[in-house]
Amino acid sequence: MEALSDDGHTEPGQSARELELYFGPQHLGMVGNFSITLKVEGDRIMEAAANPGYLHRGFEKLMELRTWIQNFPMVCRINVVEPDSMEMIYSMAVEKLAGIEVPERAHYIRSIYLEMARVGSHLFGLWAYANMLGFDTVAQWAMYHRDLMLDLFEELTGGRVYHIYIWPGGVRRDFPEGFTDKLVTTLHTIGGCVPDYDAAFFENRLFYERAKGIGTVTRQEAKEMGATGQVLRATGMEYDIRKVEPYAAYDRVPWAVPTREDGDAYSRIWVVRDEMIESVHMIFKLLDAMPQGEVYHRIPNPFKWEIAPGEAYVRCESSRGELGLYLVSNGQEKPYRVHFRTPSYPHGLTVLEKALQNASIADVGNIMISLYVVAPEIDR
Amino acid sequence: MNTALRKKLQSMFDDLKMTTSEGAEAIIAVPKEALLAVLSFLKSQGYEHLGLVSCVDWIEQEAFELVYILSAYLQEDHEHGDRERGNIIVKTRIPRKSPQFITVIPVFQNAEPYERELHELFGIHFEGHPRLTPLFLERDYHIPPFRKDFDTREYVKEVFDSIPPVEKPKD
Amino acid sequence: MDRNQLIKWLQAPAKMSHKYSLHAVYFCTGCGIIEVPPVITARWDAERFGVLPVATPRQANLFLITGYVSVKTLKAIIRTYEQMPVPNFTVAFGSCPINGGMYWDSYNTIKHLDKYIPIDGWIAGCMPRPEAIFVAVTHLWTLIDKDMADSSQRYRKQYRQYRANQEAVLGKLDWPPLFPFEGKDEHGVEEKTTINVR
Repeated sequence: MEALSDDGHTEPGQSARELELYFGPQHLGMVGNFSITLKVEGDRIMEAAANPGYLHRGFEKLMELRTWIQNFPMVCRINVVEPDSMEMIYSMAVEKLAGIEVPERAHYIRSIYLEMARVGSHLFGLWAYANMLGFDTVAQWAMYHRDLMLDLFEELTGGRVYHIYIWPGGVRRDFPEGFTDKLVTTLHTIGGCVPDYDAAFFENRLFYERAKGIGTVTRQEAKEMGATGQVLRATGMEYDIRKVEPYAAYDRVPWAVPTREDGDAYSRIWVVRDEMIESVHMIFKLLDAMPQGEVYHRIPNPFKWEIAPGEAYVRCESSRGELGLYLVSNGQEKPYRVHFRTPSYPHGLTVLEKALQNASIADVGNIMISLYVVAPEIDR
Repeated sequence: MNTALRKKLQSMFDDLKMTTSEGAEAIIAVPKEALLAVLSFLKSQGYEHLGLVSCVDWIEQEAFELVYILSAYLQEDHEHGDRERGNIIVKTRIPRKSPQFITVIPVFQNAEPYERELHELFGIHFEGHPRLTPLFLERDYHIPPFRKDFDTREYVKEVFDSIPPVEKPKD
Repeated sequence: MDRNQLIKWLQAPAKMSHKYSLHAVYFCTGCGIIEVPPVITARWDAERFGVLPVATPRQANLFLITGYVSVKTLKAIIRTYEQMPVPNFTVAFGSCPINGGMYWDSYNTIKHLDKYIPIDGWIAGCMPRPEAIFVAVTHLWTLIDKDMADSSQRYRKQYRQYRANQEAVLGKLDWPPLFPFEGKDEHGVEEKTTINVR
């Protein structure tokens, strides 16, 4: 009836049993508004095409119509799970173009703040992944611990999700009274639960069976497709922008980049766990080493702030991978061109389509969430 | 970028405008015929990571400026014993009327979605690209939306605000 | 349960069961989705209000539209909404469906969601807190009691206007009209659609 090749798989378009399925935006396994069009034959996927655009707002065009300061509340909404890395990258780019120096204490506060955001974002990713695999208990724990971090953010900045705390020239305000003690207590609470997480999820035989060997991306493929972050570090390559181009206070404390060897979903989630633990340790070290001082250098004229013509490209490490911003100014009070290089862009568009080939339908959600894609970052 | 690489680039390609400053990225402006050769040369020198393919609309100068940003995975340049290889920005200009250019996929495979997005949002046609279908947008726009002459507020007034609200039922 | 509740249950059991088991469609439409997992997990526990996420729109009677709506998402929202059985309730979450919010000048987001599907209630904020969702749910209960949460009936009555607005933004829709158009069209001709899909 249909042509079968030697290993039982057919080419797309040749099988009579080929179906086109939409792993569409309204789906219990889809976190974020994203869609994948799958061509399946039986249980096997022959071709996958990512279908982004459900969250496209034209950010970069809107940012050209608002002044430099008015863009700060805009910029955090690009990555909803971890808005702080977006604020950081925009701040770094603006400071580079305008030549603003940041005081030393602000560097430390920024690092602590970004590591807190990283822990929160990894807990969100753990919720999504554990839910997808069916480990509901671990998902509830992860969301609860993320809520504890959000309480800290609310105390520090006033908002649970969107903070607008990093400002060009430093941070908006210093740590309030008693904040450090609350931060340390929360981190001890979360860190003390790591053995529970390990027993229930990370060292669970079921997780091993579900995720080992699934969605493998080799190091060569990852480099060719421009993948960074966990996708690359799970193949054994120690590539982290915090070590490659250190910013804020990351070169002032000793820390290590966690890596794993195999490049499959199992390794990627283990890298996430190791990064979370490393972030917690890093916050403690930064708190110990933090100097006193002011936290903010004023920008020259907040009512009419024009930045000299020029261009800049800055990079930082968000919880998903390498985040970059290309900023062009032509001397006006509004940016001339803004282009974000988000980590989920290659992961969600090229790596996903490659990793889903010859996968089974049951593993689509598994692979997609283990690649750590955040849909609004792709569309902007 | 270290001095040996800079000298090599200057000797291999004429018509190159390079600006490097301490602590900042190196910006190389090349004519469009030389772009693919410059990118392959830099890739062979270890700059294997294409971070971004972007475009800036210089409407007064009637040109689109295509920007390719490269960096290295390994920060050590073993041949010259140099560390800290930062970002390199390679730029080229194409005319704004009926813009088209070649694709850099033969050199950097991951340029595919970036060029697709630029095709959709700026209207630039890339020769040799395997899949220039719409990525984000579903409607047709009279001018590609990211160009400077597309007034988004006018468009919103025309399309969205002109739709009447649904009246409450009378009973 | 006190006497008042008991009387309400006996007088209108269907209404009470609609109120206390609002099953929400799991559709992450926009940035507001960040506050929904905290709401449905253990800390803010929406299940004590009867709110549960369900997998398909056929099993749901609450549609929580979290955040801004782009043109592509609007198509998906309309298809999802039309699959939900009546009576159903729609709640828009965030400032963006109200009047465009922060993206009021974007070429790809729609500004007023109630021109396209009927909305029962709005939750303002960017981002609203999880308690705001619970306040909205209790408000929705009051509206259901007073018979004011009638978005599904409004959709049926004014389907021609809704569909015209939808087609103005999305172009010709490739699914047939959900209800037969009621009444006369602009030329005074009695409109009759032969397909009656439910």
